[in-house]
Amino acid sequence: MNELLQKLFTCVEFGKINTASPYPPQMRGQEGAQELTQQALAEGIAPSQIMDEALIPAMTCVGQKFTEGKVFVPQMLLSAKAMNAALTYIKPYFSSGEVKRKGTFIIGTVFGDLHDIGKNLVCMMVEGAGWEVVDLGVDASAEKFIEALNEHPGAYVGLSALLTTTMTNMKTIIDKVHEVHPDVKFIVGGAPVSAEFAAEIGADGYAADPQDDIKLLEGFLNA
Amino acid sequence: MERRFHTYRYPLSEVLPSLDELARYLHMEDTEHPAYLYMVERLEQLRSSDLEAVGGYVVGRVDSVEVAEGRLAVEGVSFAVGAQVAGYLKEASEAALFLCTAGALFSDEAHALNAAGDFLEAYIIDAIGSLTVERAMDRIHAALAEEQAPLGLKITNRYSPGYCNWPLLDQHQLFHFVGENPTGITLSPSALMHPIKSVSGIIGIGTHCRRRAYGCVICQNKTCIYRRIVQREKAV
Repeated sequence: MNELLQKLFTCVEFGKINTASPYPPQMRGQEGAQELTQQALAEGIAPSQIMDEALIPAMTCVGQKFTEGKVFVPQMLLSAKAMNAALTYIKPYFSSGEVKRKGTFIIGTVFGDLHDIGKNLVCMMVEGAGWEVVDLGVDASAEKFIEALNEHPGAYVGLSALLTTTMTNMKTIIDKVHEVHPDVKFIVGGAPVSAEFAAEIGADGYAADPQDDIKLLEGFLNA
Repeated sequence: MERRFHTYRYPLSEVLPSLDELARYLHMEDTEHPAYLYMVERLEQLRSSDLEAVGGYVVGRVDSVEVAEGRLAVEGVSFAVGAQVAGYLKEASEAALFLCTAGALFSDEAHALNAAGDFLEAYIIDAIGSLTVERAMDRIHAALAEEQAPLGLKITNRYSPGYCNWPLLDQHQLFHFVGENPTGITLSPSALMHPIKSVSGIIGIGTHCRRRAYGCVICQNKTCIYRRIVQREKAV
C-alpha cells in the first residue's frame, strides 16, 4: 500500500484526528487523518483510492476489533471522528460523482424506543464502509421510513430496538413498508433481537453488531 | 384515602457516578484517551452545578396478582405487567410505584453534541445521565427498604414498563396511579418519558418479598454494545 495511505489507515484505526490531537501519545506531534487526506489529494491520489485503500479498511479493522471485544465504544467513536475528519475532504467528490457510494442505507430506532447508541454506531460504521446513510433518529414510524424510501428509491433499511417490548414494532414497520415498497430489504438489530426473530418477522438479515450490517449490505449488493 | 408521593431530591454532586465507576462502565481506563479526559472535565463541571435529581414513590395496597394472566391490581388500578413481573411480585401485599429523573440537561446536551458530530462526547454525557438517574433511584430504593424494615416488610427489585415483557404503554396507567408529583416528567403518546434520563416502575413490598440478582450480572447477551459478558469471561 502507498505509504501515505498506510499512515492514514493507522490514524483512523487509532483515532488520530489532526496534528493538534494529542492522542494517541505515540503519534503526538504527527500529522493526523485531516492533514494526510489533504496531502493525499494534493499528491493526486484518487479520492476513491483513499476510500478503498485507507478509510474503509481502517474502519473495517476497528469494527472487527469491536466484534472481538478488543476495543469498546469510545475507541470506535474516536476512530469515527478521525474518519469524519478525512471524509470532510472526500465528501465533495461524492456529490460530483467522482467517488461512488455503494448504495443508500436508511436506518432508525423503531417507534416507542429512544435508544440510539447502537444505531449511531451502525450509522458511523456503515458510512465508513462507503455507504450513504440516512438516519431517521429514534421513535421512527413506518410512515417516516416510507417517506425516506420515496426519496431514496433502491435503499436498504435498518431497524433498531433495545427493548423486548418495542422490537415487536419492527414487524409493524416491515409490513407497512412492504405494502408500499414490496422489494425493500430489511436488516434488524438490537440487544433483544435474534436471527430467529428476524426470520419470523420477515426481515432479510439480522445484525449482531455493525460489522454484520456491512457484511449483509455487501451481500445484498452482490446477490 | 389520598395517595401521597414521597419526594426525594438529591444534588447532582451526590448522585453522579465517580470517575472510576464511569470509566468501568465505558471500558475506558486509558487516562490519556480523549474520552477519559472529557469524563474528568465534565464530571467536575457537573459536580459544581446546582442541579438536582428528583424522584419518589406512591405506596398502595395490592388487591390481586394474577401470575398466569400477567396482571396486578393496586388500589383498583390494573397493570398489565406480564407474567414475569407478576411472578416476581406475587408475594407483595403493597407496591411502590416510582418515578425519578436526572433532569433534561443530559439528553439535551447529548442531542446537541450528536447534532454537531461530537459523538464521543455525546456518548459520555448520555452515560453519565444513565448512571446518575440509576444512582438516584438506588438511593430512593434504599430509603423505601429502610422505611419498610421497622414494619417487618421487605422489598423486591424494581421493574419498569418496557422491560421483562411489561408493555411500555402501561406507563400511562403508572402515571395515572402516581398522579400529581414534583418530578416534572411527562409522557409522550407512545409512552416515552421526557426528560429521557428518567426511570419509572414498581417495587413490591411484603413479608416474603426479596431482591434477586439482576441486570449485567446475570445477562448472557454476548453482543451487547457495552460488552459486559466479555469482561466477565476475562475475569474468570
